[in-house]
Amino acid sequence: MLRSLALSNVFRLLEKAPSFGAVIGVTVMLIAFTLVDFSGWWTKQTISNVVHFTSLLAILAMGQALVILSKEIDLSVGAVYGLTGISFIYLQPILGVPGSVIGSLAIAMLCGWVQGFAVVKGKLPSMIVTLGGLFAFRGIIYVLTGGSVHSFPVEAQNHWLTQLLGGEFMGIKGAIIWMLLVLLILSALLWTTRFGNRLLATGGNADSALSRGIRTDRVKIAAFILCACLAGFSGILTLADEPQTHVTIGELLELDAIAAAVIGGCLLTGGRGSLVGAVLGALILVSFRYELIALGAPSSWYISFVGALLIASVIFNQWLARGGGLWLIQGK
Amino acid sequence: MTAQHPLIQVNNLDLFFGQFRALNNVSVDFKSGELVGLVGDNGAGKTTLIRVLCGIHAPTRGEVYFDGQRVVEFHPKLAIDQGIETIQQSVGLCDNLSIARNFYLGREPVKRILGIPFLDFRKMRDISARVIREFGLRENVSPDDEVERLSGGERQSVKIGRAVEFKNRVVIMDEPTNHLSVREREHVNELALQLRSQGLLVIYITHDIFQVHKLADRIVIMENGEKIADASTDSMTAEELEEVIRQGGRVVEKREKK
Repeated sequence: MLRSLALSNVFRLLEKAPSFGAVIGVTVMLIAFTLVDFSGWWTKQTISNVVHFTSLLAILAMGQALVILSKEIDLSVGAVYGLTGISFIYLQPILGVPGSVIGSLAIAMLCGWVQGFAVVKGKLPSMIVTLGGLFAFRGIIYVLTGGSVHSFPVEAQNHWLTQLLGGEFMGIKGAIIWMLLVLLILSALLWTTRFGNRLLATGGNADSALSRGIRTDRVKIAAFILCACLAGFSGILTLADEPQTHVTIGELLELDAIAAAVIGGCLLTGGRGSLVGAVLGALILVSFRYELIALGAPSSWYISFVGALLIASVIFNQWLARGGGLWLIQGK
Repeated sequence: MTAQHPLIQVNNLDLFFGQFRALNNVSVDFKSGELVGLVGDNGAGKTTLIRVLCGIHAPTRGEVYFDGQRVVEFHPKLAIDQGIETIQQSVGLCDNLSIARNFYLGREPVKRILGIPFLDFRKMRDISARVIREFGLRENVSPDDEVERLSGGERQSVKIGRAVEFKNRVVIMDEPTNHLSVREREHVNELALQLRSQGLLVIYITHDIFQVHKLADRIVIMENGEKIADASTDSMTAEELEEVIRQGGRVVEKREKK
């Protein structure tokens, strides 16, 4: 009796944690990598690289999660990531490093605002608007770079802000600390503020939210702006670490970001999801990419793998949502 | 009845959805402390009229006055700020949120920590649980549970509790007893009377004229977007009113004269 009571409590907690599937996914993955490639996987080099790249993707994925929670989707994050990163490099000679960070983030937020505004005021599907955004921003990247590679001058590379964004602290990459900071702030924003409550309500049932006097239009636009801002921030972190612009920067990154959010338990039907889950989803994607290469599998298989993983995780998360977790614990 | 000015005054309201005329020259007054039954078949325009009052639709033509002031901008936020609470059949609750979060949706209390406004979870839990329990919520349901777990009656309890808690002036109940058991229905009707006795204006929408005739002071009947009858329940019986609906189109106005 007592035992089953405790178990049902555990289950209710799990039921409320949409990231549960991702926790299981990470656990299974780590066990598998340990068994298959213990010496290759558990090295300082591997772990620090994986965590570093996870952090950059996780910042994008958390922004994506906010948009998905509001029942929209943003396909343009990869292009916004690239455009912001490139703007960061290009604006530096004119504005200096701090001005360039602010200027390029403003560009990112403008991208988010334009798309959010079009979705909300034009009553258009966000999939189409942000697909348009993807092409438009990617096109600007082509025009700006013209295929050439730009970099920071030495004094900009050694600037304190560049070091703060892209440097290392006690052997830990800056991006990791920034990611944890973003996770902390966004979680607080989502779960413990008015804005968060209204975002969840807007995604859960927009008509009900509207009937309670919530300006759902503004909430959605804010979600798009935040998402674009985070994508841009990730782009700045990437280029502050390795200040070289490429035409292809951020290509297909939107798919990774969406996949990470969905693997992490965000439902595309809106209103339910997890930021921690999005981070864990990013960890799963990056780890597998790294390990597939390490094991000598052709890296071209990675995309197919992401597809299979995405479908599997959606099925798994659905199953959990329907009470599969109870079966897992009680065996019925 | 005293000569108070109407709390809500609707003058010659027209509303078009494209070519479709959803409201046709509707004029009606509502006073404080009155329970008005708004009756009509599906598509008669009752819900459309209500949606204008609670700010979801803006009228194409005509005027709405609230407490003597002309309403210029229509948005649910403004209606709620003025104390117009709507209890609708299908909207009002978000299944993905807890009872406490739903209860305070749009009016979340905050507690400042280092100047940053965070949700005041303790207040949200305590007050929502106390208020909703008065209106029939099982003891084993916690305010942290998602509303998805609630029965139809309990969902109505959350909405009604919300209407009572926030010191409103108008409570609009749109088919509040649909999908409810007999006991739950009686309970909701008692609540409607209770709200009126507190001096609120209650507008009760239904297509069951016999049910609302027992409760209401006055009945307004709509058909095809027009008001076809407006009579006090003292001056006409439910059967007479039903006859009006059956014949349709014939405009009847009978008011209690004092």
